[in-house]
Amino acid sequence: MPTLIRLEGGRAVIAARDPFAEAPLDGPLPDGPAVLMPLARFQQQGPALLDEGLRIGVLLQPEEAVEDLAYDLPRLSMVALNLPKFRDGRAYSTAALLRQRYAFKGEVRAVGEVLREQAHLLARVGVDAFVFADGTTPEQLEAKLSLYRHVYQAASDARPPAWAERRS
Amino acid sequence: MYRYDQIDRDIVADRCAEFRAQVARRLSGELSEDQFKPLRLMNGLYLQLHAYMLRIAIPYGSLNSAKLHRLAHVARTWDRGYGHFTTRTNLQLHWIRLKDAPDILDSLAEVGLHAIQTSGNTIRNITSDPYAGAVADEVDDPRVWTEALRQWSTVHPEFSYLPRKFKIAVTASARDRTAVRVYDIGLKLRRNRDGALGFGVLVGGGLGRTPILGQTIREHLPAQHLLSYVAAILRVYNRHGRRDNIHKARIKVLVQSLGAEEFGRQVEAEWRAMDHAAVDLPDDELARIRGAFGAPAFEARPARSAAFEAAKAADPAFARFARRNVVAHKQAGYALVNIALKTPGEVPGDCSADQMDAIAELAARFSFDEVRLTYAQNLVLPHVALDDVPAVHARLAEIGLATPNLDLASDIIACPGLDYCALANARAIPIAQQIAARFADPELAEDVGELKIKISGCINACGHHHVGHIGILGVDKRGEEFYQLTLGGEADGDAAGDRSRLGDLLGPALPYARVAEAVEAVVGAYRRARAPGERFVDTYARVGLQPFKEAVYADAHPA
Amino acid sequence: MKALTANRLDDGDVVFWCEGRWVRRFADAELFAESGPAEAAAALARAQPTVVVDPYLIDLEEADGVLVPVAFRERVRALGPTIHPDLGKQAEGGAVIRAMQAATGAARSAGRLGLIRKK
Repeated sequence: MPTLIRLEGGRAVIAARDPFAEAPLDGPLPDGPAVLMPLARFQQQGPALLDEGLRIGVLLQPEEAVEDLAYDLPRLSMVALNLPKFRDGRAYSTAALLRQRYAFKGEVRAVGEVLREQAHLLARVGVDAFVFADGTTPEQLEAKLSLYRHVYQAASDARPPAWAERRS
Repeated sequence: MYRYDQIDRDIVADRCAEFRAQVARRLSGELSEDQFKPLRLMNGLYLQLHAYMLRIAIPYGSLNSAKLHRLAHVARTWDRGYGHFTTRTNLQLHWIRLKDAPDILDSLAEVGLHAIQTSGNTIRNITSDPYAGAVADEVDDPRVWTEALRQWSTVHPEFSYLPRKFKIAVTASARDRTAVRVYDIGLKLRRNRDGALGFGVLVGGGLGRTPILGQTIREHLPAQHLLSYVAAILRVYNRHGRRDNIHKARIKVLVQSLGAEEFGRQVEAEWRAMDHAAVDLPDDELARIRGAFGAPAFEARPARSAAFEAAKAADPAFARFARRNVVAHKQAGYALVNIALKTPGEVPGDCSADQMDAIAELAARFSFDEVRLTYAQNLVLPHVALDDVPAVHARLAEIGLATPNLDLASDIIACPGLDYCALANARAIPIAQQIAARFADPELAEDVGELKIKISGCINACGHHHVGHIGILGVDKRGEEFYQLTLGGEADGDAAGDRSRLGDLLGPALPYARVAEAVEAVVGAYRRARAPGERFVDTYARVGLQPFKEAVYADAHPA
Repeated sequence: MKALTANRLDDGDVVFWCEGRWVRRFADAELFAESGPAEAAAALARAQPTVVVDPYLIDLEEADGVLVPVAFRERVRALGPTIHPDLGKQAEGGAVIRAMQAATGAARSAGRLGLIRKK
């Protein structure tokens, strides 16, 4: 069972258990109160399942457009972004759009080849849950996230950009 | 020039600390080479043929004496006492040890220098006009906007893992000194008929395997929206640029496949949906940055300098230097002095630590503490009183850098090539040296006139060969170095219009030993064919390839 | 004939395999006549990711009685920049260095293309 680390109130915390059971593209749904499913399956069954009260997370591949989810986002509990390679930067734009354009309030989870050295950037674009591929601990994640004392840009987090800090 | 405040210093210091930890994790084996490589690249560190190479950013090509002295110190302490200035206004040190890199970056950070995003699939060091703030025809100081871009692009959370590298240039004069059309984004600052400041936005330029000139997607972007519009371009590219094939991953391929019009439409849609206020700098921050680029405290001087005129009359070498390398300044009684790092026999763009120190002293004493770097791998003292030019020339002559060859045949752009570079197929530097030797006679060089020879040791085109009047590309033929010549390229423009074009292939590749004589033959054909006042590229445009082909291949024998 | 080369991780220096160790000079490199032992050495080298980066085998050929790397690129690595004879390993001199430099000269002359094969 891979470790899920969530950012909660500025702290990195290991989730005691992950409520989301992963559903494949087709076949029977796993039991449980929450399901993580691929976009294609969500587009077929998702709205009906949401109506039944199931909590749903959608797994987006890097080439999949977040725009396709826009209508249903307010009812989704979680969006998982797959990074098949850590060098594939598309998830960063997807996360930024989720938070900045669609004001998505649920969990944005990074899965795949998620490594510590990219964590601070992922957090800035709006990722608040990590399934690390390199065994990064909550302490190591917190250290990485606090490494830069200032930032130059506004992003999905609340950090003031340098120009705003200079005003104060 | 812009001086770092505590925030800027902290960001660079934190980056140094981050990279120090990453190097330690790599040396201990905690990070694999595959995981570490993008991290070291985005800190300017390549593994080349003989050692690591560190590429240090010179943002918009602007240095002061403290920075140049520090570069000299670093070259002396951790390298072999010299560095190589590049076509993208960086300095490369070729003999770096990985384990020293964190200490080097700490030392650079003390004077506000760094190697952040000088490589990797990131927004690279941004280039601008080396004559900024010194020439009369600029509509605004481009450095204000370049510095805004520098800050915005540094450690950008969304755009640090792009499909491929991303280069931006900003120019503010009708006369283009940045090669703006060969950039991923080229920004041309101009005023519209109402006098409002805005940017002409070009996208999709680039050299390399698929050379393409940038195309305009926006004629006049209101200047205050620069950052949000660039962010919109980057977001479209980050999402839709190809990631399956490294050779098709640059933005130019996306622009080509969509068409500039459709690409521009997508950018406009993205930009309109964006929260501009979150991205664009507010007026007070722009004013703060602008304040850093105020004019130096020029003295009131007569337009004509008796000392300058007397030196020209007395010394033909100085007169030639004044004619070739000294450029009119917007301030009466001042000039820009170009220092060509192109002494025949030396390595184009190379500068020894001693030379760096000497130039830094000249800048401090004679040029309001400023030095600029040009994309032709030369330096400029941008604000020298005409009265002081003879003294500057005398000192440059002492350090071997007074060659009066700016824009002439021996002012050659050359990448490091196979003498250093792990990507190269062939050497570039010795070819440049052989050609420069044939045009070392200043009389001959001046008679030939403006001739921009550009040499790349591989298809990646760091030497900009596609836009050379004579371009030379090294290729590998069965393990041996061969060279393709192209003619008629140009990356230039002025008030009369943009003249950028890609060169045409002359004919079959030539072996190493025949390149310099072939260039000489091409120049000979030009001198026979030219009409009065025509530059090489003008004659080429009029007569075409044929006379040059005949000159190079007529007596060709099977190699 | 083959030799095994890489760049050392901590300083980037060009190194060659010699019976389980890495040596700086091509003249000290182990030369493999058979591909089996060469591949076995390469496998051992690849298992040292904290010592070297990207080890690989190079082809050698005889030039004036001395075995030198076939590819011009590999000779530059073993020597140093051709424009700076005072820098890199070539500065140390010696018979093998001289043979590689002579081979470089031969590669440049149009008459002896056959000396250099595809790397």
